[in-house]
Amino acid sequence: MPTAAAGQDASDVARELYGTPDEPTWPERSSLQTLPLSTRNLVRAGGPASSERDGTHQGLFREHCVTCHALEGSGAGPASVFQNPYPRDFRHGVFKWKSTLRGLKPTRQDIRDLLVKGIPGTAMPSFALLDPDDLDALVDYVVYLSTRGEVERRMTAAAVDELDYGTELPEAELRLASKASTEGGEVVQQVVDRVHAGWAEAAENEVAAPAMAELKSDELADSVKRGKEFFHGRIANCVGCHGPGGDGSLQTLDYDDWTKEYSTKIGLTPDDHAAMKPFRDAGALRPRLIKPRNLQDGVFHGGGDAASLYRRITQGIAGTPMPAVEVVQESNGKGLTVDEIGDLVRYVQQLSSPQ
Amino acid sequence: MSSTEHSVDSNQSACLVHRLAVLLVCLVWPLIWVGGLVTTYDAGMAVPDWPGTYGYNLFLYPYKTWLLGPFDLFIEHGHRLLGAVVGLVAIAIVVTAYLKEPRRWVLVLAVGLLIAVITQGLLGGMRVVLGDRTLAMLHGCFGPAFFALCVATAVVTSRHWRTYLTPSVQGPIGILQLWSAGTLVALSYLQLVLGAQLRHVQPNAAPGGFAMIVATHVILAFLLWFVTMVCWVRIRRCGDLTLTRPAAFLIGLVAVQITLGVGTWVVNYGWPSFLEWVPGSTGFLVRAKGFIDSIIVTSHVATGSLILAVSAMLWIRMLRVRHCRRVAATSGTHEMSEREQKQYGVSDSILKPESA
Repeated sequence: MPTAAAGQDASDVARELYGTPDEPTWPERSSLQTLPLSTRNLVRAGGPASSERDGTHQGLFREHCVTCHALEGSGAGPASVFQNPYPRDFRHGVFKWKSTLRGLKPTRQDIRDLLVKGIPGTAMPSFALLDPDDLDALVDYVVYLSTRGEVERRMTAAAVDELDYGTELPEAELRLASKASTEGGEVVQQVVDRVHAGWAEAAENEVAAPAMAELKSDELADSVKRGKEFFHGRIANCVGCHGPGGDGSLQTLDYDDWTKEYSTKIGLTPDDHAAMKPFRDAGALRPRLIKPRNLQDGVFHGGGDAASLYRRITQGIAGTPMPAVEVVQESNGKGLTVDEIGDLVRYVQQLSSPQ
Repeated sequence: MSSTEHSVDSNQSACLVHRLAVLLVCLVWPLIWVGGLVTTYDAGMAVPDWPGTYGYNLFLYPYKTWLLGPFDLFIEHGHRLLGAVVGLVAIAIVVTAYLKEPRRWVLVLAVGLLIAVITQGLLGGMRVVLGDRTLAMLHGCFGPAFFALCVATAVVTSRHWRTYLTPSVQGPIGILQLWSAGTLVALSYLQLVLGAQLRHVQPNAAPGGFAMIVATHVILAFLLWFVTMVCWVRIRRCGDLTLTRPAAFLIGLVAVQITLGVGTWVVNYGWPSFLEWVPGSTGFLVRAKGFIDSIIVTSHVATGSLILAVSAMLWIRMLRVRHCRRVAATSGTHEMSEREQKQYGVSDSILKPESA
């Protein structure tokens, strides 16, 4: 297969640049210093679990995360098959619960908040009881695993698309390399810079959520009533997936992007067991239909506060079919204004509140 | 010394072995609890050296540093200290059995006990020195087996064992009853081994393998529960409370264990989808390193060991009852020869208390 040689070279270069998940290193390139990662944190979080005399824990990722997220952050850890949704595969560089624009990386604070709050209704725990230094180390390590995995994946793709990798290896000048002195090395440099820039610029791309005004009871009732119309209306059309009143009664026939990569995106049917078998044998998880949230049970995986819901409505959820609603200055039939989205947020919050 | 005086002395000596064995049982179950906590808190590598602790002799490590230091150090060093005490008691049992115990096979059992505790200590030490999770799993599997061995020693050195000559059972203790109790021992230990595979799972283990172990663990849990009921039903009319009570206790204990197993899964991975009907399950938040959560997980481990120990006790007692019935049936009388008395650890004072 053309990707076999490319994958092997990409794996070798990734190891040269980033070490291994057990012995992580951070590449010394000028453009990479923009990422405020601590090498000490990476070393603390990687490797086997142990603890020091003063109580400092080592191997934090193995201690807390590896059973679900796997050593390299593939999300296919030993306990992954029992979880729905599956644990996140960090290597795509795509994260659902964040404060940034849909296609962009999360901020470090987003990851930290997720670690502290956990995700109710899933196996993702709250690590609120952990030492803050441990949390910082885990945040750095998640960024590291995501970066390492995404760089490796993109290098593999670039090798096939740009460097003439076929069933045989290309000439030396075109092979992937950690040094930028060859054409293959320049491609690697571009990939690395792109991925690192995504993380470095995340904080600049936070979506500002407007403050929601406190409303009196009659104003609130009117707002919720308008929100209900938007929820069931043509523009937002939340009802199309979440069901009438957000009861989650509708069955969708869609999958998340992590699954689509080895199914619909390459023309395969996810529920075709024979077609999926080679991917399953290679460690991919069985595709599962995505379930829109039942909004009436009041459980919001990414947080149920107004700011989080506003961002989720205006950005959608990265990696999933959940679309974004366009924010417009004035009502034009194509999007919703900030105030109208505020009505929608209040309606969604009211769905799970006692009447 | 008259033969009567010798018999009384021998009986008292055997009692000492029994008391030491009971002390061992009382020490080993807490040891399993502490060991379980060590794994739950990932504190197995809190002390990087072995057999010493941070360069100190195990017993000379400053107690203030131990008691007031980090929790990981507290439980790991405490686990080692308790393990050492268990080792000392095992030595005392061997010495006492060598000096006073008339039954040679009990002495062999005591030596086996000592070898087992040394092996367990070495496994724990090697796990630390080599930092190997597989050894941690072996250490976790061997602990319950050692606990069952301690219980077996306490049973065979008990007064009940030595005085149990006239079978009081009314119903039969046949091969089926024995098999059901033996199956309990085998199943409960298999469950412990499977549980250890899940608890000490290798980070690069395949999800399919993990899922298969989970499924087997769950199915066998209910099969074990069923076998406890079968066992109790078969012996409930035997008239011997030393058999029927443990059998009934096991039914409740396995029920508690299944509940703890569900709890262990929930505090680790949240509510499984087939239990989403439970109120609050859809919004349940798993909390890493929560104290109550840790106790639930550790109690699941400790209760598993207790089930094995009680099953072993029941099985051994049934073997004893069956054997005594055979002896009584073949001899046609309850009188025992001197050779048989020595073999079964029976003194004249027990057979004929009025003569003492």
